[in-house]
Amino acid sequence: MAAPAIHPGEDMNSVGDAVSAIPLTHPAGRRWWIAFAGAVALLGLFALTLGYLLYEGVGIWDNNNAVVWALDIASYDWWIGVACGSILVSGILLLLEAEWRGPVNRIAETVALLGTAAAGLYPIIHLGRPWFFYWNLPYPNTFNLWPQFRSPLLWDAIDIVSFLVVTLSLWYIGLLPDIACLRDHAHGEAARQLAAVSPTRKVALFRAQAYGILASGWRGSAAHWQIWGQAYRVVALLGILLVVSVQTGASVMLAGSVMPGWHGTLMPISFLIHAVLSGVGVTAAVIVLIRQVYGLDHLVTDRHLDALARLMLCLGCASAYCYGAEFFDTFLNGDAAGRAVLVRRMEGGHALAFWAAVLGLVLPPQIFWSARARRSAPALAAAGVLVAAGAYADHVMILVVTLTQDFLPSSRLPYAVDVWGIATFVGSLGLFLTLVLLFVRYFPAISITAIRRLVPPGSPEEPAGAQRQEAALRGSGQEAPLWGVAAAFPTEAELATALQALSTLRGPVRLDAYGPVPMPRTLRALGLEGRSILPYALMGALGGGAAFYAMCVYATAYDYVFLIGGRPRFSWPSFVVPSVSFAMLCGCLAVHAALLVLNRLPRLNHPAFNIPDFHRATGDRFFLAAEMAEDGTDAARLERRLAGLPAGGGRPLATARVPR
Amino acid sequence: MTGNADERPAGPATAQLFSPGADAIYRLVLMTLAACLVAVPVLAAGIVRSNYVTGVGIAPSQPLPFSHKHHAGELGVDCRYCHTGVEKDASAGIPPTHTCMTCHSQIWTGSDMLKPVRDSYASDEPLVWKRLNKLPGYVYFNHSVHVTKGVGCSSCHGDVTSMQMTYRANAFEMKFCLDCHRAPEKNLRTPAEVWNMEWKPPADQASLGPKLAERYHVKGGERLTECGICHR
Repeated sequence: MAAPAIHPGEDMNSVGDAVSAIPLTHPAGRRWWIAFAGAVALLGLFALTLGYLLYEGVGIWDNNNAVVWALDIASYDWWIGVACGSILVSGILLLLEAEWRGPVNRIAETVALLGTAAAGLYPIIHLGRPWFFYWNLPYPNTFNLWPQFRSPLLWDAIDIVSFLVVTLSLWYIGLLPDIACLRDHAHGEAARQLAAVSPTRKVALFRAQAYGILASGWRGSAAHWQIWGQAYRVVALLGILLVVSVQTGASVMLAGSVMPGWHGTLMPISFLIHAVLSGVGVTAAVIVLIRQVYGLDHLVTDRHLDALARLMLCLGCASAYCYGAEFFDTFLNGDAAGRAVLVRRMEGGHALAFWAAVLGLVLPPQIFWSARARRSAPALAAAGVLVAAGAYADHVMILVVTLTQDFLPSSRLPYAVDVWGIATFVGSLGLFLTLVLLFVRYFPAISITAIRRLVPPGSPEEPAGAQRQEAALRGSGQEAPLWGVAAAFPTEAELATALQALSTLRGPVRLDAYGPVPMPRTLRALGLEGRSILPYALMGALGGGAAFYAMCVYATAYDYVFLIGGRPRFSWPSFVVPSVSFAMLCGCLAVHAALLVLNRLPRLNHPAFNIPDFHRATGDRFFLAAEMAEDGTDAARLERRLAGLPAGGGRPLATARVPR
Repeated sequence: MTGNADERPAGPATAQLFSPGADAIYRLVLMTLAACLVAVPVLAAGIVRSNYVTGVGIAPSQPLPFSHKHHAGELGVDCRYCHTGVEKDASAGIPPTHTCMTCHSQIWTGSDMLKPVRDSYASDEPLVWKRLNKLPGYVYFNHSVHVTKGVGCSSCHGDVTSMQMTYRANAFEMKFCLDCHRAPEKNLRTPAEVWNMEWKPPADQASLGPKLAERYHVKGGERLTECGICHR
């Protein structure tokens, strides 16, 4: 583990240029198009299958009265498992501030988002009348009915909506500063093309503006970074809680039935472990693929492969423990029906699923005991794909083996995997792959911000930026009203020193700092210390969760008393699952609102963009801006103060007066 | 800034990527989207409940302009004279042409307005009325059990004695049925009042209703809201 997470010789610019070159100049175009054509063909298969499904009904899957859940629910569980695993890994790495998270986080968040999108379709398409899917949600309807809050069907609906919101916002928040970096790269390119009257200049400008709109006017101000970091971590925490709720909820859904083999007390844990393992597997495979195609060996280093392999090894061992504990517990302690299910799993008609699950989930990670295998990209990708396949087989095994034979001889029906069930799943893979390829094509596939934080401060910068310009540069529009004075610095440390020196300045001056990475050292001088997004997130989550819980209680115990299966009017435990999911959704929305409002975003046009060379605020420069009343004396005083600072101790590379 | 000996490419000449007006447009778009999130469902819910969709209060043109107001209201013909099945069948029944001709073979025999009735009688082809009150196939409804247990005609069909041309008085959505099935005692009448088209709950309905429910053996609430009561 001694290998550094970043290659020596990487600096702020090389990281930003390498990553943003992928969406902006699109190298490896031919390979991308071949892959995209394949993915779109699978997507076409998906469209065809869905069309046939809508026309003919769910009967095409060959599910029957006993095996009501087969590949449809297995696919749903698998996709949401992959999404859960990826978001859990991403969230935990973020919260632990693992220094090697840079290339992993972004891909894991993308896999989570797109996996959720694929998963989200299944609950809709497996309905008899999919166009009435919204009947599952609580809304004021003409039936005068509430949905059944005790039912896992409703939990699923709320879970998937919450999951979509949380994964989307985690993905977008993480992406925000990187999109701003792309925007500035694209803006520079557009400006060059405009100056050269290139025929593609309008496309270039459109591209820059599209990124600009997505970046919502991100300026990389110290205040932005402060709230952004908090928002990112809080949403990651909400995501982790949601994962635990969703995965344990999924196993409790099975346990809520009377079917044999679905009542192991370890099941919530094994669901969670297999979900995380499959998520890590898919994430690792996608990371290796992107690394090979775009030659990103210098950013995705052996250290990253090693860490992912170790993670997979741990989870593979945990998976082995889960299987072992289940055998041990059932054969030693279980009832006859449970033992029969376990025996049928191993040697019944669907034994293939069992052996694929065990061999896929437990064995492949074991190769990572070898250090050489841990550093081998192909081994990592192969193991990732195998564990993902094993997790799918595990879902099929759990569902089908139990359902083909329960306690009643009358409800024993054989089930064989049907070609349309496979086509639906392969089609959903096509949807996922198409979206992954579009993501790689248009977004930074690797977190620029996370890798930049590892760049040692200022080291390779010095030679180029050493000649400090004493002569203050007059801003371009001297006749325009003055907005403020700006100064450029090579490092955050120097910027912080200058800010400290200026903080004694009296007068109506508003100081701000801009830079390409979070700038915790400037916060004290700017008087921003102690700002927290946490109260908003807490209020949103607790308020939303409590409101949802109150709705469940009101609906089930008072407004729509519907006694079913002897369940009590106040079935409080079953209301917890959807309430927790909804709480995460509301917390997430509150974080977003706070992120925008506290940072006064979106702001597409801002005087700070008038600072000369401001595009380097998402590259390798740190800027100080002092906003002041329209009075030249203040500006002159400030410039004198800055120029009087010692070189390397806060004296800027250059200063400029910035028009409004 | 000037004098930069960096090999970094020069930045854009125009610093601002967006004009100052772009912010207003962007925020307007965001707010519009947020408003749509609320407005579109509200609008859709409003349309679904509107008379345009439910057909409440809209009298379609019929083969001839039969007036319930004239026959049932002014002349006082009893509902059951035409809708003969209402007390013993699931369906109340649409009267055959013979029922019309019991009177109109004697009165208004030459009326132009009644020509379709005479033609129907002569050709033995029934009149094709436009149906107003429809229930989906998965809903089981029985008229006889309602009218014999104190649910009056007007509770569902409105005061037809005031309708010149007949229209649908209530949208028969599930909500409409459930409102009564959850609290039947609010609408139960004495047997004599069932045919009263201008019935309003009397002052003592609160005490009378439960008594009537007991007399009719109507088990409200839990029993009447079981799914299988209507969806068999």
